[in-house]
Amino acid sequence: MVGAGEVPEGLYYSREHEWVKIEGKLARVGVTDYAQSKLGDVVYVELPEVGKQVKQAAEPKGKEMEIGAVESIKAVSAAYSPLSGTVKEVNPSLQERPELINTSPYNEGWICVLEPSALEVELKQLMDAKGYTDYVKKLE
Amino acid sequence: MKQLPLAHAHRSLGAQLVEFAGWEMPLKYVSVAEEHLAVRRAVGLFDVSHMGEFSVRGPGAIDFLQHVASNDVAKLTVWGVQYSTILNERGGIMDDVLIHRRREQEFIIVCNAINVEKLNGWFAQHRDEEAIIKDISKTTVMLALQGPKARQVLQPLIKFDLTQLKRYKATETEIAGVRMFMSRSGYTGEDGFELFIFDEPTTNPVRAEKVWKTLLRAGKDTGIRPCGLGARDTTRLEAGLCLYGKELTEEITPLEARIDFVVKFEKGEFIGRAPLLEQKSVGLKHVRVGLRMAEVGVPRQGYGIFKEGKKVGMVTSGTFSPLLKAGIAMGYAKPGLKVGNQISVEIHGKKRAAEIVNWPFYDPARYGRSRR
Repeated sequence: MVGAGEVPEGLYYSREHEWVKIEGKLARVGVTDYAQSKLGDVVYVELPEVGKQVKQAAEPKGKEMEIGAVESIKAVSAAYSPLSGTVKEVNPSLQERPELINTSPYNEGWICVLEPSALEVELKQLMDAKGYTDYVKKLE
Repeated sequence: MKQLPLAHAHRSLGAQLVEFAGWEMPLKYVSVAEEHLAVRRAVGLFDVSHMGEFSVRGPGAIDFLQHVASNDVAKLTVWGVQYSTILNERGGIMDDVLIHRRREQEFIIVCNAINVEKLNGWFAQHRDEEAIIKDISKTTVMLALQGPKARQVLQPLIKFDLTQLKRYKATETEIAGVRMFMSRSGYTGEDGFELFIFDEPTTNPVRAEKVWKTLLRAGKDTGIRPCGLGARDTTRLEAGLCLYGKELTEEITPLEARIDFVVKFEKGEFIGRAPLLEQKSVGLKHVRVGLRMAEVGVPRQGYGIFKEGKKVGMVTSGTFSPLLKAGIAMGYAKPGLKVGNQISVEIHGKKRAAEIVNWPFYDPARYGRSRR
């Protein structure tokens, strides 16, 4: 694959390759097209527990920033939360069809919905579509 | 990082590249799962030129190989291929190799990329005055054509009748006007062929490119796929084949790895013989096992294996089997685990149910080279 793959406008993006879609007071979260293509065939997704309090990803990384793990054939990668808050909902479809992360990373392959606790401040830490596209270009 | 002679061909096919044993290698071209299934159902083409090759020739070649390798080289006829191990003085595995007898007094050793330098030193240390040992890794291109349709793809390209080439036998042939050494062997569990193009300049691999393209074109209608290291690892694991650095290390003996057939005590002295005999009489501390997940989750290297709550072993390599749609793994555990034993593997902090199984992990009546 060349470049960042699909990067929809209107979403926010993290350095850890998660996307955020603001839905009123809630935030839907998933992994980007670039991330899924790097991971390869996703075979299992470890979802976070509903009610888990998570922190926005920062260095050094910690368990409290994880919203589960994505297993591909080759490796397991932790999914890091792009925002602090509480997990309100997880995507039940991923249990049966983990490959949705590959086939539909921005729609059917979402991971969870968060209730953000510091949305305004933390959004400033994230990138817009153009910013993320440039960020990925530098990684390549 | 070392570049494969065919690096350009891989890039133009859109390969995702990864470092492996100092080489930049294709991890996958499209998808590991699709490439894996192509090998199981049709045919896949791997560039495995990272592998090391040594040429050993001269009147002392046999004596040298009998000394450094655990299998009985004297049993190898010309054009025969033999799986063997190179052991250290403690009986630990320095490398697992394939030894090809090319002429009466000429052998080709195929070894793991990661061990080329180590073996270079070891062979020099144990050299025989009447054997010439040459590292020919840098100028050898090695391709592997693997899968139930490998023969079908290859046959129209060569004059030799492939039904006459048995498993673990080799010959010299020509594809698209390119001379090569070819053996019926491989690392996937499937029928297949390994092709060696010797004396190929790495900067201008015209002959290798020609063969690579010819094979891909010839396999078009059968669903051939170029396959990367990802599918190489998943297919070998499904077949229950060991990988050096995972199941095989200098701290592990062939007896523990349950590849006893590479050890021929009756042939006489060889490096590592005495400690292996000792181990045989004292008993093994741990042995290689296979396991299959009953629950979701993918076992990975380093994960603990538990029986009745007690840790009994550790996973050395694991993956999600694209064929079985389940996690599978090999590892080492205390002796005594039996096929069918219920065990568990700790995955992300949770113990998940699994079962001890035999390899190959697939049904050999349906997949692999003995399929019906």
